Amino acid sequence: MKISDVIIIGGGLAGLMAASVAANRRQKVTVLTYGSGSLPLASGAIDFLNTESPEAAIKNLPAHHPYKKIGVKNIDTAAKFFCHITSQANLIYNGKISAQIPIVTAVGTLKYSSLVPESMNATKLKSKKKIFVANVKGLKDFYASMLVDNLKKYFPDKTFEIAPLDLNLMGGRDITCLSAAQILTGNEKILADGLKKLNATEDDAIIIPPILGLEGNISRAEVKSQIRADIIETTCLPPSPPGIRLQRALMKYLQKSGVRFHENSKVIHGTAEGKKITGVIIGSGIREKFFPAKKIILATGGFYSGGLTMREFDNPKEPIFDLPVFFPTGAENWSNENLFGDKPQGFSMTGIFTNDNLNPVDENGKVLYENLHVIGANLGGVDFIHEHSAGGVAISSAHKAAMI
Amino acid sequence: MKVNVMEKATVVIIGGGATGLGILRDLSMRGVKALLVEKKDLGNGASSRYHGLLHSGGRYAVKDKEAARECIIENKILRKVGKSCVEPCGGMFTRLDIDDEAYEELWVKGCADSGIEATPITLDEALKLEPRLSRKHLKSAYLVPDAAIDGFRMAWQLIDSSKRYGGQFKTYTEVIGFDTVNGELRGVKVRNQFTGEKYEIACDIAVNAAGGWAGIIGKMAGVEIGVQPDKGTLIAFNQRIVNHVVNRLHKSSDGDIFVPHGSITILGTSSMSIPDPENTSTSREEVENLIKIGEQTFEDLRDFRILRTFAGSRPLYIPPGGAVGRSASRGFAIVDHECDGLKGLFTIVGGKFTTFRLMAEKICNQICAKLKVDTPCRTAEEPFIEEVSQADKDKAKKYFPSYGMELAADRLGAERFKKVVERLESNPESRELVCECENVTRAEVEEISKDDTSFNVDDVRRRTRIGMGTCQGTFCALRASAIFADTCGESTAKDSLIRLREFLQGRWKGIRPVLFGRTLRETEMTRAIYELSMNVTGGKPR
Repeated sequence: MKISDVIIIGGGLAGLMAASVAANRRQKVTVLTYGSGSLPLASGAIDFLNTESPEAAIKNLPAHHPYKKIGVKNIDTAAKFFCHITSQANLIYNGKISAQIPIVTAVGTLKYSSLVPESMNATKLKSKKKIFVANVKGLKDFYASMLVDNLKKYFPDKTFEIAPLDLNLMGGRDITCLSAAQILTGNEKILADGLKKLNATEDDAIIIPPILGLEGNISRAEVKSQIRADIIETTCLPPSPPGIRLQRALMKYLQKSGVRFHENSKVIHGTAEGKKITGVIIGSGIREKFFPAKKIILATGGFYSGGLTMREFDNPKEPIFDLPVFFPTGAENWSNENLFGDKPQGFSMTGIFTNDNLNPVDENGKVLYENLHVIGANLGGVDFIHEHSAGGVAISSAHKAAMI
Repeated sequence: MKVNVMEKATVVIIGGGATGLGILRDLSMRGVKALLVEKKDLGNGASSRYHGLLHSGGRYAVKDKEAARECIIENKILRKVGKSCVEPCGGMFTRLDIDDEAYEELWVKGCADSGIEATPITLDEALKLEPRLSRKHLKSAYLVPDAAIDGFRMAWQLIDSSKRYGGQFKTYTEVIGFDTVNGELRGVKVRNQFTGEKYEIACDIAVNAAGGWAGIIGKMAGVEIGVQPDKGTLIAFNQRIVNHVVNRLHKSSDGDIFVPHGSITILGTSSMSIPDPENTSTSREEVENLIKIGEQTFEDLRDFRILRTFAGSRPLYIPPGGAVGRSASRGFAIVDHECDGLKGLFTIVGGKFTTFRLMAEKICNQICAKLKVDTPCRTAEEPFIEEVSQADKDKAKKYFPSYGMELAADRLGAERFKKVVERLESNPESRELVCECENVTRAEVEEISKDDTSFNVDDVRRRTRIGMGTCQGTFCALRASAIFADTCGESTAKDSLIRLREFLQGRWKGIRPVLFGRTLRETEMTRAIYELSMNVTGGKPR
């Protein structure tokens, strides 16, 4: 096995982004993944922080926050690079880290993100006269009446119309947004014809579930060319087509760049010489295989993805390198009484602490491995879900680690 | 406090648990006009917050032979009259190396004396039936006729049965006092929990069947009732770890019963005296304790994903000067408060879920004697509900996924099943699954949502099982909240976002104390979906 310049463990947003950046540097990159990452679960929008200007807010964050270690300039570069590589796969993202763009959720709330797929950009809703909400016959997980009830609270003066839309999806049992997106890929005419019947004008917007195909902006462009109104996709319950589009766009970039990709490869542990990781070992059934590398990027995620595990209380583990894991002790600090609330959840702050180079450190701040970098949801001290920064931390930490 | 008399019944029953519902059914079947009030939803107390075990009596065979005998008789009756609530999985008693060998002998004799068939099996046979049992610790095993029983389902089937005979009920209606004149009961004062409206239900007799709350109700009437709320904590696992009810063959203790229910397993229970029956929150220490004991029977227990933990308040009856906790009797007591100088009020307290029907029969005999009604009790003969006919099942099969039809038939009973199938027939969109974990169709959720006793999504959950399975509501919460808002009655608050958050928060309560292992993973997924993709906390318009 030839030695890689960098091995990336994990195929979620952070891992794929790190691989893209490293490949762009013409490095020899190997990605080892197990499972499908969390992108099929994600909205597709990239949050940096839940505030009007994340860029401005970053300077007020505490020193242990990953953004402080990455630096505003690098975060901005990461965001731009992200938009650059996704656009190469015809997936257009709008936005920048100094602003936020609204998107419409499946339940009809607005959500603000810094980078949003163009198909979900709801900025123009404000200036529209009438908002149609497509009620797609036979589609599961999209409830137009719920969406309208809640969206009205943001736009009390606008006219809403729930528009029945028959895309001929009936027949099977459960059609999710993913199945609909698959069906419509190459069959965009069905959707365009259905939407034409609404006679919507430039002054109107049509809100639809995220069913505009799975390949970048292709299906959307096809439909858009035939409709005068703006078409705006919402988020949806997983599996989420906008998340899958992003995953595919990044994968496409990696394939084009010659990145070696090993799926179903669960890294079981690493090998080290002093403070240097020499490689990792994957275990698949009875066979073990060694992958040597000059540098390792750990992008295995948090508790959701198995990058962190905890078999018993007060004993979280990082299962590959057995890195020290920061966690809040005691039941009262572990979780809040309310699932959704004003405070971060302790369990979600669990993770690994690093220095400015994203090298893991022990409780005294001493670097454990100089060529190991920790990115994304593995990082500790912050509840990324609570502060709406999961995507931003993933891509910016990935960028920083890959540039080192 | 004076309130207007708005309703009238011969007997008012306080408490919508198994006991109260059993009394409502029994009295209604005997032609007595009865009305039940429950301050929350049916089965809110210990009648749903328990392990769902239909005892064979084996657990009481040494300590309390009378209770054991009652259990085995009632067990046989409930299998017959409550067929679709019971999963006849059978039970096993297992003695481990750390358990007292001498106890086994006493137990075998106790079972024989109480009429409980306990069949000894070899260790090989036991391990074949329950392969996860600890090979290291297992010393002996017996099969007994235990079974699993669904408390929520039984509650609503008892209502269906009562309604056929004119029985009435009001949920979310809390008792706030009694109207008495010269030591004689005239009525029960209640408050509607949603509107706050207070009124009186005039009656000749009131029955305090409030379980853990019986003492509080007694106080309102000025009578002392020896009831100690006793918290029992349980853990629900995501898998069917056992195929039988697996009991430890030792002196009854914490964490020694595993009960399989559909695709999950419930481990219980603890026993802890608590001052307030309402406060059934559980701690991670209680959970750890249960798991540690459970690991003696199943060594790999910790690796199974936990769904949630929950706890109920058992109403342990304390006769004057009696014992508390596990040493307290699981027997029951009926008090006619005429002896306390209050004519017309009865209290029934203590007992067990398994013997609820017998308890109801006994108190109804006393009530009927007072009312000079001589119709005999028939609750042991007539099934709770009419079962779905094979013809209806065959007709409906094509609308349901895999085994979903059988599950729906058991949940719904003949009458409601027909209505759901009509929906499925006429609207193909209603065939989609709202809850994949428990195989619940949109049609069923619509049918239950429109019922005027469904006030929120949790009420729908208890009757359909949405949100009770593997995903603990992560996927069905959005769907059910939307459907509920579309179909619920006019008087019910409709804000779907509030409904959605309140439903997930309800699930969260039981997840917090077990937030380790794979439960963490599920929780992070739920948060990612609802906080990030759905932004359910909304935020202000900008």
